[in-house]
Amino acid sequence: MSGVILAVDDSASMRQMVRFTLEGAGYTVLQANDGVEALELARTSGADLVLTDVNMPRMDGLTLVRELRALDNYKFVPMLVLTTESGQDTKMRGKQAGATGWIVKPFNPEQLLATIARVL
Amino acid sequence: MPASTAESSKAAPAGAPGFTPELQMANMLGLCEAQMESALQESDRAVDALVQAFTCLVDTTRSVNALTDQLPVEFRETVAVGLNQQVEAISKQMASAVVAFQFYDKLTQRLGHVRYSLSTLALFVCDRSQAASPDQWRRLMNTLRRLYRTEEEREIFQAMMDGISSEQELGGATSTHKAVKPGEIELF
Repeated sequence: MSGVILAVDDSASMRQMVRFTLEGAGYTVLQANDGVEALELARTSGADLVLTDVNMPRMDGLTLVRELRALDNYKFVPMLVLTTESGQDTKMRGKQAGATGWIVKPFNPEQLLATIARVL
Repeated sequence: MPASTAESSKAAPAGAPGFTPELQMANMLGLCEAQMESALQESDRAVDALVQAFTCLVDTTRSVNALTDQLPVEFRETVAVGLNQQVEAISKQMASAVVAFQFYDKLTQRLGHVRYSLSTLALFVCDRSQAASPDQWRRLMNTLRRLYRTEEEREIFQAMMDGISSEQELGGATSTHKAVKPGEIELF
């Protein structure tokens, strides 16, 4: 597998778990602590897929998805939300913001990789 | 702890001037919050060390895998096959560990909500007119309900609002959620 994945989460241990899983499968992983950092990183380095948490300081994941969708080079990039939130209302807000899919934490490494392979 | 909660924690001992049950209650809630914060900070340090150890383990396993691929042909069918099987077994265990580690993240999030609930309640009970109003209690409950975002938190909140005791709910929750299972995936 190859491709650059931007992983966004304010929890360092969560970012590590995502990194282990994705790098083990051959992806290159860029990491950001919140939406503001992710947006900056997305502008300066290209990503083939964005995997973001929802609740983060400074800028939440749904605002990040919306902001990225407004950029020309991220209009069609798959964006997956990885969160503890499982409520239908929040999921619908994610869909409206432009998210490609919704993954409820904790993720299973094999299932996460299969989902990424499917949307990439 | 919010400033006003800290202020309320200066409650006087029973019998002393300035003693009120509300201030004592706020003081106790502040104590619970502080204990939780302290325990969380200790756990964070321990989990950070565990994550570091896990990172080293992952890197070592990958190195062993890479070295196996470089073995001379005559060893490939004997040593390499055995090593590959061992690496595969370790990788499966690591996948389970990745799922388990994520529960700590979920735990800190849920405890953060409990801490917020405690400090909000401490401020609430200190205002006697507010604490005496059923409408204000309903508003407080709605605020707390919106705070709970995981399925488990919402289930417990709803059960308690329906009058089920915490012991009964925990019994139910244990049977419903005892399996450490990964979350759902939905593509739009």
